[in-house]
Amino acid sequence: MKEPIQRIAVEPAELAETLHGLLRRPGYRLGHLTARVDESNRTVVEALLLDTEGARTSIVSATLAKGESEYPSITRVVPAAHWAERRLGDFFGIRAAGHPRWKSLILHDPAWPLDLAPLAKGPARPREPYRFMTAEGEGIHEIPVGPIHAGIIEPGHFRFTCAGEVIAYLVIRLGYQHRGIEKRLAELPWRTGRYLAESAASDTAVGNALAHAIAIEQLVGINPPPRAEHLRTIALEIERTANHVGDLGALCGDIGYSAGAFLFAPLRGSILGLAEMVTGSRLQRYFVRPGGVSRDISADAADLVRAGLSKVRTRLEELLPLVFENPAVLERMEGAGHLSYAYCRDFGLVGPAARASGGRYDARTVFRHGVYPQVAPAVASREAGDVLARAQVRAAEARASLDLLASLVGGLPDGPVVEPCDDRRLPGGSVGVGIVEAWRGELIHWITTRGDGTISRYAVKDPSSNNWTGLAHAIRGNLVADFPLCNKSFNLSYSGNDL
Amino acid sequence: MPKSLLTILKAGVLTQPGVCPDLPDDANGLPTVTGQPCEGAACGKCVESCPTQAITVVEKTVALDRGRCIGCGACLEVCPSGTLVRDCSTAVAVRTRRGLVLSNEPEPAEEELPRELAFLRSLNVREVSTGDGASDQEAIASTNSIFDVARYGIHFVASPRFADALLVSGPVGRAMHDPLRRCYDAMAEPKLVIALGASAISGGVFSGGYAEANGVGSILPVDCFIPGDPPHPWSIIHGLLLTMGRL
Repeated sequence: MKEPIQRIAVEPAELAETLHGLLRRPGYRLGHLTARVDESNRTVVEALLLDTEGARTSIVSATLAKGESEYPSITRVVPAAHWAERRLGDFFGIRAAGHPRWKSLILHDPAWPLDLAPLAKGPARPREPYRFMTAEGEGIHEIPVGPIHAGIIEPGHFRFTCAGEVIAYLVIRLGYQHRGIEKRLAELPWRTGRYLAESAASDTAVGNALAHAIAIEQLVGINPPPRAEHLRTIALEIERTANHVGDLGALCGDIGYSAGAFLFAPLRGSILGLAEMVTGSRLQRYFVRPGGVSRDISADAADLVRAGLSKVRTRLEELLPLVFENPAVLERMEGAGHLSYAYCRDFGLVGPAARASGGRYDARTVFRHGVYPQVAPAVASREAGDVLARAQVRAAEARASLDLLASLVGGLPDGPVVEPCDDRRLPGGSVGVGIVEAWRGELIHWITTRGDGTISRYAVKDPSSNNWTGLAHAIRGNLVADFPLCNKSFNLSYSGNDL
Repeated sequence: MPKSLLTILKAGVLTQPGVCPDLPDDANGLPTVTGQPCEGAACGKCVESCPTQAITVVEKTVALDRGRCIGCGACLEVCPSGTLVRDCSTAVAVRTRRGLVLSNEPEPAEEELPRELAFLRSLNVREVSTGDGASDQEAIASTNSIFDVARYGIHFVASPRFADALLVSGPVGRAMHDPLRRCYDAMAEPKLVIALGASAISGGVFSGGYAEANGVGSILPVDCFIPGDPPHPWSIIHGLLLTMGRL
């Protein structure tokens, strides 16, 4: 499906002010900020702007003069760009002049040479060695944690600056799982790229595969059949429900409420069993593909899935009061890890984390993916902005997803499940953007092609990239002992950010 | 609290009986190689369809490397001779890298590795993730009451100091080379390393780039390989029991 993307070209010196102006329009948000190298070997800094009221997208680009490696920082006026700009520094060897916290984001020394800029053409401006922010004073101490953590969880380094038991400041240093995905996706033939694109964060297989498929479908100009759109939506909502339910249990685990943890885990298992019936894989790997999905479901299997969904729904209603009507749980969750609406808006937070602080943006209500936005469920939103609100939003979304799933599985349209497109060429000089509301929030795959139809830039924006600083901010003033709980209430992806 | 206890009691026993039951009919599973004569290199459809170069065909001999296979099923769709078929077994872990390569004309079996019998009754496992969240999720699932890995004396522990085995998921990109080595060095002897999933075994879909994310084998000696992308929780339990010398 071809959707018009408005293109605006400005001078690098005007980029920040232009974006600042456009982003003041109601409903506008910064979808992603990245760069690419054009066919004259110039670096082009590009922002994807999303109009969440009019469902439109636009790309604002600024081409740096040949040999130029600096442009005025956007973060000064658009705080939401702050990690994205540091990412540009690592990957393209360019510098956002005036960025308030300029340092590497992903490619830290000594694991990576300071002059390596994998997406730049030719030698790049070397980075400065990474420096942690340090604080001094009476009773101030640091707690370094990671990269390898105590649980079964992805690696990342957290450095807490504490005053006694209270966290004054948290630095989150990620990048340990950088696997060079974006560069590889521009090197591989597009037909095999989907396996890697889906693995950007393999706990969000459906979300990533769907964003990839939509971007490719926009480029080649096809629409998947209605049955495929239904099956994709079913897979996406199963992924959301399984993760929300699993994390409600994990939240119980993090406050020592073992009964809660042990009850939600098998419910998640039941949902993954349904996923296996629909897609052949508990984590729904390699199911969504450009043009549709990789397999169909029989009427009998659909009936079994429907019956299974109804059992899961009943069980969820039995379990939720054990969390939300339990004073011991509420005591720990209420007020912990607070984020204000203004902070979430300014820093561009997405997903349940933003909606728990009063945000109303859910990409399912705006952008075409699966059967959305036509049948999008009502947006689940809370005002409190604490751990409890994030848990409540996820519980509400799990409920809504199960209701939606029941009607989708019951109302599958007939027809094929794939519109074959593997023999198509990608058009030259084009752009495809897939925007999906994955379980963590807005997920974007953004593909740009050269004149000959090969991919010049494949950019992935995981929802976690928006939200990690939200966690660092939310934990300020909280007890060290509340960090695991607060962290789990966001449950962000390390690999999706590191790419 | 009484309410939650009642809810637990009402749930009954959820734990699956037996060890490593087969996958249900709906599930994809990994491909396997049968004795059916292959149409040979002239066909080559499976080789062409495989996104991770897991299949090679020389004359009439097909070799499938489950260390690279991501279980996408593309080869099963195109194989005309029934040489490549779906395998519904979850007992897919092996002790050697060569053991992951299946063929319709198998080479003579190699010698069995000596088993580390020190862990026959219990195994403490340190899981280190390096970029494959799906395998991590399945490792967590192996501890829930459905699979309940703890009933076999297997426990996931919080520090390499407590650990007998290092279970590594993900392709181990450059920035994890050093932390992973240091984690291994912090473990007491005797110690074992288990590669969890296609990306940990070979880099899987991630291999071949500048990030040198080509699996744990290039960093540490590996004692057990659990194929799949991600491996099923039962396959994880299979690998752990195999490493302990229990199977």
